[in-house]
Amino acid sequence: MTIGNDKEFKAALHVLPPARQRQVAARFVDSVLALCNDVRVAGAVSAARRPDITDVELGALYMAAKAASVESYTQCGRETDWANQAGHFVCKAAVNCVKPADSHENLAWDAAMEARMARTCASIAGGEGTETREAEQQYRILDAFLSE
Amino acid sequence: MTATLEKGVRVLKEVIDAPIASYFNSCVHCGLCAEACLFYTETGDPKYTPIHKLEPLRRVYEQEYTLLGRLAKLVGLAKPVTDAELHEWQELVYNSCTLCGRCSVVCPVGNDIVYMVRKLREGMSASGNAPDGIKGAANRTITIGSPMGVKLPAVKAQMKHVEEDYGIPIPLDAEGAEYMVMLSSMEIINFPEYLAAIAKIMRQAGKTWTLCSTAFEATNAGMQIGNSDLARVIVSRIVDGAERLKVKCVISPECGHAYTALRWEGANLIGRPFTFQVKHIIEVLGEFQDQGLLKTEGMETDRLTFHDPCQLARRGGVIQQQRRLMNQIAENFVEMPDAGFMNWCCGGGGGASAIEEGEELRLEAFKKKKAQLDAVKPDRLVTACANCRIVLEEGLEHYQMDIPVVGLTETIAEHIPDAVESEGA
Repeated sequence: MTIGNDKEFKAALHVLPPARQRQVAARFVDSVLALCNDVRVAGAVSAARRPDITDVELGALYMAAKAASVESYTQCGRETDWANQAGHFVCKAAVNCVKPADSHENLAWDAAMEARMARTCASIAGGEGTETREAEQQYRILDAFLSE
Repeated sequence: MTATLEKGVRVLKEVIDAPIASYFNSCVHCGLCAEACLFYTETGDPKYTPIHKLEPLRRVYEQEYTLLGRLAKLVGLAKPVTDAELHEWQELVYNSCTLCGRCSVVCPVGNDIVYMVRKLREGMSASGNAPDGIKGAANRTITIGSPMGVKLPAVKAQMKHVEEDYGIPIPLDAEGAEYMVMLSSMEIINFPEYLAAIAKIMRQAGKTWTLCSTAFEATNAGMQIGNSDLARVIVSRIVDGAERLKVKCVISPECGHAYTALRWEGANLIGRPFTFQVKHIIEVLGEFQDQGLLKTEGMETDRLTFHDPCQLARRGGVIQQQRRLMNQIAENFVEMPDAGFMNWCCGGGGGASAIEEGEELRLEAFKKKKAQLDAVKPDRLVTACANCRIVLEEGLEHYQMDIPVVGLTETIAEHIPDAVESEGA
């Protein structure tokens, strides 16, 4: 199947079991990982790809990724650094890759949305306009993932 | 006396009005305000007693406007306010005061201590003794139009993100729309889902709405730093935008001080009545609910509780709407102790979260919120202020409490079914 829009994209993600959602979510985050230099995030995304990851590992990685996400918020009243803000959304996307399975219905969709926000922030930081192709990129990633 | 101190003291003299004079004369030194302040209750340090935070203002009042004080000053027995003292007081007037208003409502003689703190902030600001974090926010508001430096292209980028990812158009500068929706910088930067939620809710309700290119920012840094002139400029931008677009109602976002500045003080700041109404988004959602325009589907089954933003509940009197909204979408909504009118502040309002050096104290004060949460052990925490949301997340992270924090507007929007979403009214 070829994913061509968000409706199809969301529906295709929604039927995946949590473990598969984590794996594809990790690929979405990989696509924007260069926008974040937090090692906790890279570690969480790398581990989320593994089919044999345990709940204990997930718990620890979730706490670490969440800490990275909270630490990277732009506080109210502080000057916005859009490049850092892109990194913050990568952290948020990574949190979805390792979130406890019973706490969320569509981990991969949420990770995809945060990854798109990361790309949007990076485009604002770069002053390169607001055209991003992250959604199309994610459709291709999902297509490839489903056809494996 | 330095020029800035002279200016600061002059401003303090100017801001002392009849209410301030009567408040100082009425204070019975009972100390009840101390027990109402989370910075005092959580540290036990008497310097955080709210009325004590006003000491420089009290001395200026005494020395300038009372007979004994003026005589004492004349013969050199009065202790003048100094730059060093104002600098020392910075921590008490900004870092450890979120303008939450709890002290004002417990005062047995009716002293509005928040009103007094804000007057003192005027002098602090004029004398250059506001914290750097808030000064920076104020400067960016003057030069860029946003305390966090958000410019229109960034807003447009977020609009586009929402339009593409959620498939709902975001109107900009639509003349004659019923509602003009304001955003806080925080929502543009950290919580774009708020804008998506608004679009979804308005579409279901069948209401016309718009963002305004010349007035998208609701946050009022002038109010936070204590600069009425700046507060007036920010309100004027919004008024100009709303009048240009001929909207009937301006919606204040999930931001506490933006609401107070515009709803309760805006007309006085600009010196004339508004030609439009001002409502907080929670008030608007409450109206939609009453009118049957908020059709939701499904219920949250986990244990939810609600953190009342001080400016919305205590200073603004909006208390029941959020509870009715919560009950529409949550099966297991529980109240924290002291919820509603007497809720405890998150610890980061009134500009406090912009003060880097105040972080340690904020986290100490957060123990009060932790105790409230420990009492009900929620699975998730809902609120209606973007600043509260981040301060809460930081506090929860610090105390290793895994409780997700979400906004009420987006939580409601998640329950709007796609089928109903496109019906309109």
